[in-house]
Amino acid sequence: MKSNKAQYRRYTRSGWGNFFYFFFLIIFGLFSVLPIIYTICTSLKPLEEILIFPPRFFVTRPTFENYAALPKLLSNLKVPLSRYVFNSFFVSIITTVLHLFIASMAAFVLAKLKFKGSKALFMIIQFALLYNTYTLAIPQYVIFSETRIIDTYWVYILPYLPSTLGVFLMKQFIDSSIPDALLEAGRIDGAGFFRIYWQIAFPIMRPAWLTLTLFAFRDLWSMQPQGTIFSEELKMLPNIMSTISSGGIARSGSAMAATVILLIPPITIYMLTQGSVMQTMGSAGIKE
Amino acid sequence: MRNKKVTGIERLKVRYGRMFALPWTIGLLLFFLVPLVESIAYAFSDVSLVNDDMLSFAGLKHFKYLLQEDPNFLDNMAEAVTSFVFSLPIIVALSLIFALILNQKFRGRLFARAVFFLPVIIATGVVMKFVTGEALNSGAALSTAMGETESYSGISFDQLLINLGLPQSVTELLADYIARIFNLVWSCGIQILLFVAGMQSIPDQLYEVSKIEGATAWEEFWFVTFPMLGNVIFLVLIYTTVDLFTAFDNPIMTQAYDLVSKNSVYDRSSAILWGYFVIVGIIGSLILFVYNRLLMKKWN
Repeated sequence: MKSNKAQYRRYTRSGWGNFFYFFFLIIFGLFSVLPIIYTICTSLKPLEEILIFPPRFFVTRPTFENYAALPKLLSNLKVPLSRYVFNSFFVSIITTVLHLFIASMAAFVLAKLKFKGSKALFMIIQFALLYNTYTLAIPQYVIFSETRIIDTYWVYILPYLPSTLGVFLMKQFIDSSIPDALLEAGRIDGAGFFRIYWQIAFPIMRPAWLTLTLFAFRDLWSMQPQGTIFSEELKMLPNIMSTISSGGIARSGSAMAATVILLIPPITIYMLTQGSVMQTMGSAGIKE
Repeated sequence: MRNKKVTGIERLKVRYGRMFALPWTIGLLLFFLVPLVESIAYAFSDVSLVNDDMLSFAGLKHFKYLLQEDPNFLDNMAEAVTSFVFSLPIIVALSLIFALILNQKFRGRLFARAVFFLPVIIATGVVMKFVTGEALNSGAALSTAMGETESYSGISFDQLLINLGLPQSVTELLADYIARIFNLVWSCGIQILLFVAGMQSIPDQLYEVSKIEGATAWEEFWFVTFPMLGNVIFLVLIYTTVDLFTAFDNPIMTQAYDLVSKNSVYDRSSAILWGYFVIVGIIGSLILFVYNRLLMKKWN
């Protein structure tokens, strides 16, 4: 993936084949982006167009009044909007960073060291990947209340940290792209364990942690815990959506406008990490 | 690969290794393994939220109830399994086709990839519910999660299709099909990515040889690309299985979710999910078994 030499294949040679392929691609691609376009269109619709039944897909007289209405709609929240914004960014960023460190440390050890229980741990990871965490909601809740983290920031942060996808992807990536010899060289040069991890392995793992950043941020950004956060001042941005939309259909333009704004951070992160995501996924399928 | 004895950093103290893995291991224990064991216990007990001792052993009571008395469980299970069996091959095949196209050289390739990956970025949480509205989610799970059902409007295919002025039955049918295709395309994001990444790691020489040997594109796919993707296909199969299994619009998930959120019935809900987990596990391993036997054997 380092060079750009002929890595992309041409499978079709005939014009018709190409035409068919791209027709296929465009049709299904449309399905992929349709809801986003619709969301953007609706967010630009003036009230009369929102109330039309049946609804039209495109906007005929675009206006920014839905966006302009947002500050006023949000001015009578129980806590100031800035608090939600802060919470969202604070929780997403802190948790993502902590998760990156914890997961990459575990993955590094799992990939490069043999110790009692390391095999078992990797088995557990693979099992956990197959298992749906939703099933665990209730027992998890019991643990939250026993550890007294309910209604604190910790209840967002702690449960996310041991998520297994990150460790799995990182371990696969280390296996495929960090040779033992390199770490050995570091050791001979007198680097300690932590230095080897931090100065040699961590920089090489850049594509893997960028990928994880994308996934973690995506999950955290839209998180809306059920029954574990009660204080309004600890809630995150998705919560304001229900405030906006409780105004009924007339507010749906503004709800869409807020949605569009909420989509901006994850999409920005995707655009920044796109290349790395591809590279990391390339190593995911490598066995052992 | 087996011979790990020569590992270079082996001499580094294992102590450090343990220390390094510790934070994550504790987290895993606390927030995954312990709850996992607990939920098994729930499935075989009566859970009471009022009494001091929450659990009292109930044996197979909940499973018996589900199989013999519950009016919906077996229907839901049949529906979930059928849709799983149909969706899995379609999603895998679709992703493979998309990946083949997206792996070719054409202008706007990066943009096209982003388009297909977009659902992955936004397909979680509240934002997604607003974007897609109820078109995707016929189940009650999401509307209860949202709190308000009527107050938001995402994209609704049935309503939009009224514009075409077709008879109502045709509109409904069409909307249903569109919603289904839509669901499928939106389930392909990660799979496409895995396939494209896999295709890029296939050595160029293989394609050069096949070209010199005069292989057609069709043969090139079946004799070079497809076999070389063996592990990736395996990964995609697993991923898709999990994805479908945990999807929120799945009737079993809805049933289990409703039991918890509306009636606070934890024990039967755990029993449902564990029963489902076992069945999906069996089907999943069957698929992988067939895959290993039929396909891998052919290549070796």
